[in-house]
Amino acid sequence: MLGRTLFIDPGRCIGCQACVSACRECDSHRGTSMIHVDYPDAGHSTAALPTVCMHCEDPVAPCAEVCPAEAILVTADGVVQTADPTRCIGCGNCVGACPFGVPQVDPAQKLQLKCNLCYDRTSAGLAPMCATVCPSGALFYGTLEQLTTERPGVSVVTEFAFGEVVVSTGVAMVAPASHRGPVPGGLPLVEVNGRPA
Amino acid sequence: MLAIVLGSRGLRDFDSALVPYAAATVLLAFGVTYRYTSWVSGPAARRLFVQGWRTALSRTNLRAAPTALPRLALTYLGFQKFLGARSHARWIAHQLVFWGCLLAVLITFPLTWGWFTFTAASPQGPGYQMRLWGYRLFSFRQDSLLGWSMFHGLDLAAVLVIGGVGYFLWLRTRDRRAVTGQRFGYDFVPLIALLTVSVTGLLLTFSELALHGGGYEFLAILHMVSVVLTLIYLPFGKFFHIVQRPAAVGMQLFKDTARRKGEALACRRCGEPVDTAPAVANLRETMRELELGWDHGAEYCPRCRRVLRGGAYLDQVKRGFR
Ligand code: SF4
Ligand code: SF4
Repeated sequence: MLGRTLFIDPGRCIGCQACVSACRECDSHRGTSMIHVDYPDAGHSTAALPTVCMHCEDPVAPCAEVCPAEAILVTADGVVQTADPTRCIGCGNCVGACPFGVPQVDPAQKLQLKCNLCYDRTSAGLAPMCATVCPSGALFYGTLEQLTTERPGVSVVTEFAFGEVVVSTGVAMVAPASHRGPVPGGLPLVEVNGRPA
Repeated sequence: MLAIVLGSRGLRDFDSALVPYAAATVLLAFGVTYRYTSWVSGPAARRLFVQGWRTALSRTNLRAAPTALPRLALTYLGFQKFLGARSHARWIAHQLVFWGCLLAVLITFPLTWGWFTFTAASPQGPGYQMRLWGYRLFSFRQDSLLGWSMFHGLDLAAVLVIGGVGYFLWLRTRDRRAVTGQRFGYDFVPLIALLTVSVTGLLLTFSELALHGGGYEFLAILHMVSVVLTLIYLPFGKFFHIVQRPAAVGMQLFKDTARRKGEALACRRCGEPVDTAPAVANLRETMRELELGWDHGAEYCPRCRRVLRGGAYLDQVKRGFR
């Protein structure tokens, strides 16, 4: 069951990049943003999608499984941490294996950079930086109850289908109440609003 | 152990006062072997290990870029250039700890194994001879600069280590990035161990020079205990990165070689380079072995993976939001 976590509602995202700026400002990874905002239907609609680490949990996050240096630690509360800088060798395995396209590698530092759900803040009871600045509520931090009192009639999904595989996550996605089953992961290729992707 | 027996000429040069130290180095060798074996038997590490060595030892590679391996070993493992890119202060502090520890290891390990001995050159003189495996290497005078640094090499090492460790301890109480998720046993114990070893080592010299040996025995035991515990702990905590780090050189060689041959893999959707083709193939094999069931995704760049997921959401979950 979900505790306090992040809920992502792409339907509400206005693509303003406030979360990107806030993330870049954060003290624990100065200057680089760990959150991505992408425009999947660029030129045709204003649709935007913010991506943070989904904190996969099935049974261990793929990024951690493929790491040859045992650098990615999953804490007891299910948060998949940024790579341990003493161990990470910057090989990029985690970048290739993450189905959500989250981690980055800085080749000069030989170091992976990835969202850790603002562990310095969330472990102290604060919301992540991105959620505190999001003006539209596309990023919401709290419990499922808090979310549904504010937004009655939405459904919340923590399962993503990548072809045959279903990955379950610690961070949730908001979907219309009518939605059933996992959220599609995007591969194999699909159409976007009727046009080929 | 064989090295100890042979190097000390059948234990003739072996100093029995150093038995606990020598025993700890033997335990260390076992610990490291055990940890290393369990580490490289994981799917991802095993592939990296195989590919790294294969590239390093391949004959075409040695001919095409004979300097690549030594150059990488020096800049990467010796001078740790990548740490400078993380932060200059971190680089300096780590260099202090690294060279300090290396110096200490180069002095003490052969000494405790009985490889090195110092003998008086003549009954009257202030001169000494240094012998390796019983052979005379060179002689020096105790009051010369060389003589001084021979006897104080460990003190020098301790000063270097204390400088670096001091910085890291300070960082661990201040820096948000370092403080996030830090664990006492993993992040503090190694620093405290290095500090204890260095400080007790320095105090030994201090006791000898200033206190005429006051408290020497107690300090010697404290120093010994801290060194022995540190060595035994080494394979299991943070210090294991010393053993793991060279894998990065293999990884770098593996990718550099592919890059030199122009074997880049372009994203199947946008055409931007993803990684080198052999690296992606290698990763896909690891993913298949782990039954992640999604290895073809590795041929798409991270941005395309996100865009495609956004597209799928638009298409199948919440049509529109135009
Ligand atoms: S979303 Fe990617 S980076 Fe985050 S836990 Fe999953 S695999 Fe790892
Ligand atoms: S880049 Fe670092 S964290 Fe990612 S797989 Fe490689 S060693 Fe592990």
